[in-house]
Amino acid sequence: MADKPIVGEKRAFMTGNEAVTWAALAAGAHIMYGYPITPQNEIMHYWTRMAPKYDRGFLQTEDELSAGFTCIGGVLAGKRAFTGTAGPGTILMQEPLSMAEMMRIPMVTVICQRGGPSTATVIYSQQETRLTCFGGNGEGYRLVYSTAGQQDLFDYTIKAFNVAWKYRFPTFILSDGYQSKMREPLTIYDPEERGIKMVETEPLLGGTGIPGVDRDPRHLRNTYNMEDELYQVVMDMDQEYKRIAPEVVEYKAMETEDAELVLVAHGIVSRATEGAVRVLREQGYRVGHFRPITLRPFPGEALKEAVAKARRVLVVESSMGQLAGMVKEELYDLSVPVTGYFRPGEGITAEEVVEQVRGR
Amino acid sequence: MHNKSEVSHINGKDVPVVEAYVGEYAGGKSENAVNRALSLLERGRQVTLVDLDLVEPFYTLRPLKQKLEKTGLEVLTWQTDETIGLGEAGYPLRPDIRWALRRQHDIIIDSGYGVEGAKTLNLLEGASQHPYLQVLAVINISRPVTGTVENIIAYVQSLGRVTGLINNTHLGDETTVAVVQEGAKVVTGAAKKLGLPVVATSAVEDIGVRLGTADCMGNPVRKIKRYMPEAFW
Amino acid sequence: MATLPQPPMPVVWRSETKPHKFCPGCGHPLVLKALGESIEELGIQDKTVFGCDIGCSLLAWDFFNLDTVQAHHGRVTPVIVGLHRANPRLVGIAYMGDGGGYAIGSQHLVNAATRNEKIMVLLVNNTLYAMTGGQMAPTTLPKQKTETSPYGREPETTGKPTLGPEMIRAIAPDSAYVARGTVSRLPQLKRFIKKGLENVVSGKGFAFIEALSLCPTNWRTNAEETWKFLEQDMHGYFPVGELAPEKGEE
Repeated sequence: MADKPIVGEKRAFMTGNEAVTWAALAAGAHIMYGYPITPQNEIMHYWTRMAPKYDRGFLQTEDELSAGFTCIGGVLAGKRAFTGTAGPGTILMQEPLSMAEMMRIPMVTVICQRGGPSTATVIYSQQETRLTCFGGNGEGYRLVYSTAGQQDLFDYTIKAFNVAWKYRFPTFILSDGYQSKMREPLTIYDPEERGIKMVETEPLLGGTGIPGVDRDPRHLRNTYNMEDELYQVVMDMDQEYKRIAPEVVEYKAMETEDAELVLVAHGIVSRATEGAVRVLREQGYRVGHFRPITLRPFPGEALKEAVAKARRVLVVESSMGQLAGMVKEELYDLSVPVTGYFRPGEGITAEEVVEQVRGR
Repeated sequence: MHNKSEVSHINGKDVPVVEAYVGEYAGGKSENAVNRALSLLERGRQVTLVDLDLVEPFYTLRPLKQKLEKTGLEVLTWQTDETIGLGEAGYPLRPDIRWALRRQHDIIIDSGYGVEGAKTLNLLEGASQHPYLQVLAVINISRPVTGTVENIIAYVQSLGRVTGLINNTHLGDETTVAVVQEGAKVVTGAAKKLGLPVVATSAVEDIGVRLGTADCMGNPVRKIKRYMPEAFW
Repeated sequence: MATLPQPPMPVVWRSETKPHKFCPGCGHPLVLKALGESIEELGIQDKTVFGCDIGCSLLAWDFFNLDTVQAHHGRVTPVIVGLHRANPRLVGIAYMGDGGGYAIGSQHLVNAATRNEKIMVLLVNNTLYAMTGGQMAPTTLPKQKTETSPYGREPETTGKPTLGPEMIRAIAPDSAYVARGTVSRLPQLKRFIKKGLENVVSGKGFAFIEALSLCPTNWRTNAEETWKFLEQDMHGYFPVGELAPEKGEE
C-alpha cells in the first residue's frame, strides 16, 4: 500500500474531474459510490484506478438513487463518503439528498452540470444551480460551493469534506462539464502539510458497545407523525443553518468600491466576467464583479455591500436566470435594477460580456 | 525543421509512416497526432489521420475536421452534426476507421485513453499483423499518474504493445524550458528501463526553439502548434 | 395495577418502546421476534445495524436495542449496502415490505442479489400496501380485492403475483441463502432467519428471506379467516421452504 497520495506540493496539469479525484484522495475520503453519467465519469475512472493503491473503497451502483443512498450508508458507518453525478442523475439524486438533508448526513456530492432539461447536452451549463441548492421536498439546507476551475475544484473538494463533517449538512461541489473536461495547471498538495486538519469522522450507527446494554441504541428516522413535531425539527435546522451561515459564506468581490455596474456570476462563467471587468476597466468603464462562491448559504450581505453604489446589476449565467433569481431575492429591498445576460446551456466568453456591457 | 530520421526507408524504398498515439487522458495524444500528420503532409506525403478516441471524447479531432482537411489531410472522424448523443450514447465506430490500416500511405492514429490502453487498436482490422505500425505513448510528467519513472513504467506496461515514448511534458501556459527538460530526464529514465526509445520531445514552438534540435537527453525535438484548444465541443 | 405474566422476549427487544405500534393480529411483531431471538442467539447485537423501509416496516424504527435507520420507500437496501461496504465488520439487515422490495425498490434488491452483497434482506409479504390503506401490491393474489383492484386482481392486465425468492434464487450466486418462511411456522421462519444471518456474518454471501405475513386490518378478516387466507391462499401460491441452488446437468 502506498503512503500518502500526495506528498508536499506539486504543480500539476490535469482535468477538473481528476482534480476532484486527487483532492478526495488527499482529503482521506474513504469510499465513493457512483453511477456512470457524462460528464462526471472520469471522477470514477480515476478514483477506481487510484483507490486500491490507497486502500479506499468504491461501489458502482445500479442507478443514482442507489449511489446516493449507499453514500448515506457509508456516512452512517462513519466514513468520508462521496458521490458525483450530473443532469438526469442529479434529478434522481434529489431523493437521497432530501433524506440526507432531513437527517443531517454529511455526504459530499460533486455535481458536474450539463445542459437541460432532460438528457440534452453534456458540457456548458449552469442549469442545475437551483436543483443543487434547493432540490428535494425541503428548504435547501445544503452547503454548495460553486467552483471556477481546477484549483477551486481541488481546494473546495478538500474543504467540502471538512465543512460537511463539521456542520453536518450535505455538502456540494457545483462544477460543470466544462470544468470537468478542461485542462489547466494547478497546485496539488497534502492538506495536513498546509495546516488543514481534516475533521474527524465518527460512526453514526454501529459504534462500540452493545446498544441497550452499554449505551442507548441509535434510532435514526426521517418520518414524523405530528405537524408540530416536524415543525420543530425544521425550525431547529433552520436556526442552525442561519447560525453557521456567516462562518460558511464565501465570495469574491472585485473592483466594486466605485462600480456603477456590478457583474454577478458564479462558477466557470465568473472566469469570463472577471476577464471582462479587467478589459472594461482598462477602457475606463466603472465596472465591478461579484462572485458568490457559496450559493447556499448565499453571501447576501456581501452582495448588498458590493452593489451599494451600483446603478445596475448584470447577472451573467449559462442558465435562464437561476442565479439571477437568488440575486433578486437578496436585493429585493434595494432600488438597483437587476438585469441578466442568460445563455442557457451555452458557454460565455469574456469578449461577449464586454460587448454586452458596451452595447448598453 | 523536421528530423529526417523520423521517416524510414528499406532498401531505398520509402516505407509508410504508421503511428498510433496512445496515453493518458489529457496527456497530449491528439495534439501530437495532429502535428505529426501535418508535418508529414508538409513533406508532400499522403496522410490519413484517424480519430480513435472512444471513451468520453471531448477534446477530439471532430471540430477540427474541416479545417484540417483544407490542408489536404484526410481525417477519419465523425462530424459533430453527423451523430447524436456524444458523450451520452457513446461513440460509434465509423466503418472507414475500422479499415483504415488497409491504406498504403501514411496513417496517424489518435487513440483515446481508457483502461484497455493500446488494445483499442484491435478495433482496426489488421492491427496485430501490420508491419509498420508503431505505438507511441505520449507522456506528460506534470500529470501525477505519470509523474515519476516508476509510475511511467507501470503505466506503459499496462498499455500493452508500445514501441516508443514521447516526452510531452508541459504545464499549459506555464510551460518553461526547465519543465520540458525535467520531463525529458524522467521520461528517458523510464524509457531506458523499459528498453524503449524516446522518439521525440515535443514542445510548443517558442519553447521548442529554445530547446534546439535535441533536448538535454539527446532526444529529437518536435515543435508543435496547439490545435486542440479549438477542438473543445 | 397487577401485571399479567409476560412471555419471554429477546434482549434486543426494547421494552421502552413497547407496546409496539403494529395493529392487533399483525404479522410484523412475529417476524421481528424471530429476528430478535436469532440476533441474540448468534451474539451479534453489538455489530448489527437494522434498517427499515417505508410502509408498516417503518414502525420498527425504534423496536430494537439495535442501531437503526429508517430509510425512504424501497431504499433501505442501498442504505444498508452502503453501510456494509464502508464497514464490513457490521451485520446489515434491510427490513421491508413487498411493495418496497418488489416494486419501488426492485432494482436495488435485484442488484444487491447479483452483486452478492453480504447483507440480509428480510421482506415481509402481506399481499398489499398496508400503511397506505390497502392498495394492490406486486404480491396481491389473483382475484384478491384491494383499494386499487376493487373488482379483484386481474392477472391479464396487472400480472401475476411476484415470486420473490424464486427470482432472487435465479439471479443470486450459489453462495447466497434464499428462503421463504411464514409466520404460521415460526420456529421454521426463525431457523431460516438464523441461517440467513449466519450466511452474511460468515461473509459467504447475500441472504434473502421472504416472510409470509398477516394483515387482518386490510384484509378485513377475523382471526379464523386471517389464518385461512395465510395458510390456504397464500401458502397455495407462495411455496414455503428454502430455495437451494439448482444443480442440474452441466
